[in-house]
Amino acid sequence: MNINYKLQDRFDLSIFLPVIGLIIFGLLAIYSSTVNHPTASGNFQKQVVFVIISLFVFFVTFSLPLQSFKKFAIALYAVSIFFLVAVLVIGKTVYGAKSWFGIGGFGFQPSELAKLGTILMLSYWLTYKSRDINNLKDIGVALLIGVFPVALIMLEPDMGTSIVFLVITVSLIFWSGISLFGLFVVLSPGIVTFASILGTYAFIVALLLVVAALFFFKKDLFNSTAVFIINLSAGFFFDYIYRVLKPHQQKRIASFLDPSADPLGAGYNALQAKVAIGSGGFWGKGFLHGNQTQLRFIPEQWTDFIYCVIGEEFGYIGSMIVILLFLIIFLRLFKLSATAKDRFSVLVTVGVLTLLFSHFALNIGMNVGVTPVIGLPLPFLSYGGSTQFINMVMIGIVLNIYRNRKLHT
Amino acid sequence: MNDNYFGSLFRRRIVFVIIVGFFAICSVQLFNMQILQQPTYSEKSDENSVKPIYQLAPRGIFYDRNHKVLVGNKPSFTLRITPSTYDKKLTPYLEAILGMSPGYIDRILKLNESYSKFIPRKIAKDVSFKVIAWYEENSSKLPGVDYVMETQRDYSFGVTGAHMFGYTKEIPLEVFQRRKGEYDIGDEIGFGGIEKTYEDYLRGEKGIKYMLVDAKQKTIGRYKAGEEDRATIKGDDLTLTIDKDAQEVAEEEFKDKRGAVVALDPSTGEVLAFLSSPQYNLEDFAKVTSNEVWRELNNNPDRPMFNRASMSTFAPGSTFKMISAIAGLEEGIIDTNFKVNCGGGYQFGDRYFKCLHVHGTVDVETSIEKSCNTFYYTLVNKLGLDTWSKYAKKFGFGTKTKIDIPEESSGIVPSTEYYNRVYGKNGWTKGFVISLGIGQGELNVTPLQLAQYAALFANYGKSARPHFLKSYMDTQTNKRYDVKPQYYDIGISRKSFDIVRRAMYLVVNGAGTATNIKLPDIAIAGKTGTAQNPHGKDHAIFVGFAPYNNPKIAIAVIVENAGFGSIAAAPIARDIIKAYLQKDKKEEPKDLAALPAVKEANIEH
Repeated sequence: MNINYKLQDRFDLSIFLPVIGLIIFGLLAIYSSTVNHPTASGNFQKQVVFVIISLFVFFVTFSLPLQSFKKFAIALYAVSIFFLVAVLVIGKTVYGAKSWFGIGGFGFQPSELAKLGTILMLSYWLTYKSRDINNLKDIGVALLIGVFPVALIMLEPDMGTSIVFLVITVSLIFWSGISLFGLFVVLSPGIVTFASILGTYAFIVALLLVVAALFFFKKDLFNSTAVFIINLSAGFFFDYIYRVLKPHQQKRIASFLDPSADPLGAGYNALQAKVAIGSGGFWGKGFLHGNQTQLRFIPEQWTDFIYCVIGEEFGYIGSMIVILLFLIIFLRLFKLSATAKDRFSVLVTVGVLTLLFSHFALNIGMNVGVTPVIGLPLPFLSYGGSTQFINMVMIGIVLNIYRNRKLHT
Repeated sequence: MNDNYFGSLFRRRIVFVIIVGFFAICSVQLFNMQILQQPTYSEKSDENSVKPIYQLAPRGIFYDRNHKVLVGNKPSFTLRITPSTYDKKLTPYLEAILGMSPGYIDRILKLNESYSKFIPRKIAKDVSFKVIAWYEENSSKLPGVDYVMETQRDYSFGVTGAHMFGYTKEIPLEVFQRRKGEYDIGDEIGFGGIEKTYEDYLRGEKGIKYMLVDAKQKTIGRYKAGEEDRATIKGDDLTLTIDKDAQEVAEEEFKDKRGAVVALDPSTGEVLAFLSSPQYNLEDFAKVTSNEVWRELNNNPDRPMFNRASMSTFAPGSTFKMISAIAGLEEGIIDTNFKVNCGGGYQFGDRYFKCLHVHGTVDVETSIEKSCNTFYYTLVNKLGLDTWSKYAKKFGFGTKTKIDIPEESSGIVPSTEYYNRVYGKNGWTKGFVISLGIGQGELNVTPLQLAQYAALFANYGKSARPHFLKSYMDTQTNKRYDVKPQYYDIGISRKSFDIVRRAMYLVVNGAGTATNIKLPDIAIAGKTGTAQNPHGKDHAIFVGFAPYNNPKIAIAVIVENAGFGSIAAAPIARDIIKAYLQKDKKEEPKDLAALPAVKEANIEH
């Protein structure tokens, strides 16, 4: 028993074992949904290879000196941005989004790398010596770090991933202690921009709300006017950008804002996913016996709709075990955010937590029908090399933070 | 209370509540779906699943330049087997009724083994109505067998055009994977020729019918009474540059011959006729192609699958003499006063190059009219290899014409650099160059290049890239888009052209080598050629254009192993020219005028 205690002290099994559990569930579900498929029957073997590689990378990341992540931050972020630009130019289009590099038979999604790069870079920036989270310039830079990749990913267009980046950015600024007014300054231009897309009327209403809020905050005239002008110009600037874009780019933004532009396509998948999960019942229909899955009612089920394979074939029991494993991971990360040894480690932990949770919430929410249909993979379960790889690197980093939590420098 | 600080307790609580709250919502929703509403969902899953049924779109039709149908569509029945429910004991009966040899069905099923057993396999296309009637009577005893109505290419409009039209077949797995998301397994896709180049115009859009199917895939009704269904959109119709009458004459003349014909409109590059003979029967590809058909086509020594018109290469013989003449005139090496004495041949070093006759004193005009070799042995020696080569390349030889079908060869135009590469710096002699003057030696050209060459003479060095597509009709907007020809000018003086064109006129209308095809009402200009063939009898070649004063058609004809160009090739060219020009007089193109073009389209391929 003694040895076990020592191991738990250096290596958080209550994060690592649930992750392994989820990966195993994922492999079972991928096998079930592809074994009879005309073109995807090799995906199970490929995923096994991805898992083995990502486990190896996990141990490497876990063993690196903790300080090195701080050093990697800027370089990794720069590389991510470079790839995001490059993919728009020479990337390959998969399911309507230009978000992949094809290398040999395999694809690589640079937005996955950018997730890691952005979390590290934001954490680094927000915890650098004399940063003041309520200083307009420092917030501005933090926002730029987070929003720049979003702009590039919007052009691909990949709505789900853009949302994840925004959630991460806001969470880290929030965690850093921004004032309510600061949070308002950060969020309001986004809301006004969104309203400007909906129409002139919505735009004016949004601006009026901003004015009302400014009265509520009782800031001086200069600050209030500045915030109002920022909001006003955000709306007009986006409108201008939208006009100068080429028609096919405008179409991309339209489809980004309204993913149900193909209502039957999206509605059809969501309906079939719900039928699959609901018909699973308490015990499920049994491994390889889900007719929704085996008759392939849900296209590309092994990616964004992997959870409904589990719902159908392993029932309420299986579905609950999967979300419980996620809950354990989230709560352990939450606890770690209070015990990590420095602010950089705390923010990285919060970043990873936010990333995994937003993927989890949007994906499971879509599968059980409580959130809109937005394509995002389910961490550790969905088929895909880039996602698996980056997720395991992130788990490696947080367990590394766990290992170093009691050391002081 | 101030909680505006790093990781404040209040903020931690908000995050905690979001995490646990979302977990709670999901647990409740799962409980609701999988336990409370499980019977409803189960029923839906078992009985009311929606399945999209795709309906293939008819491909666009090919019209000729006068709006006559070249390739159409016809309805056909396709018999299918779905392995998951199919009983193998039925195989002998099916094979008997379809008239297939035993083992045929097993072979098709084995071929598609890697696909899900729930996907139906096409067993036979274009099945007769008798078979369908038999199926309808016995369908209850035939589990896993069904049929679908599809449209299929109809080639019954009088022209074959196999090599230019190309064919369609079921999408191969590697193309399916490369064009991910655009096609489904079992879709037809254009293979070769125009069907391939303009696939994206021709394919149209599949329709979808949403059907309610039970878990065993049995249809039990329409989803939402069909209001979500999507109608099929037929592919865009193509108006080709082909003239059906000219093409028909070409195909008729080549019935029992091997060779190729390419005819162009010299000013626009529009292909008027395009033939490679022997052809193959496109009908054979419209059905599920049997092994026997493939074996026969591939083992035939005449190679019917090979597109001779744009892929075969050969030495063009005397038809190439005009290159040297133009080069000499343009470079100022010769003029109309330059004369060579032909005593029946030309001594170069220790080799003697022969001429067919003793022509006496020959100037440039007579040299073409009478096809004197001695004149060109002398001239090419004066020109030098690289000057000759430069002019051959100007006329488009040695590079692809970039015609809008994928099958094309570039041919070879030798140069110093070429010979050095092939034989080494000292491995070749100037003697190699002498034969090039009369279009023999390592020179390789395609019939298409020769037709382009004729067009350049017809139109004084100005033409446009050869192409098949004249316009297309967008099915959805019902607007016609004209293709803008891609014009070019090779930059050779009108004076040189006048001299050489005059000589080409005399070939047919003076005392030349093709006076046998002289017509009373159409002035044809041209040049005969005989290409030496190391494997057998010489190939007969004719290039030409007409009418001489205002050319409307330029043509190249090659008849394999047929001997002299004047006897075997020139009369075919004459008949095609006649078919094209005389019809032009008697009937005006009609339907096209009624459909005004909305704008010009630039087509890239």
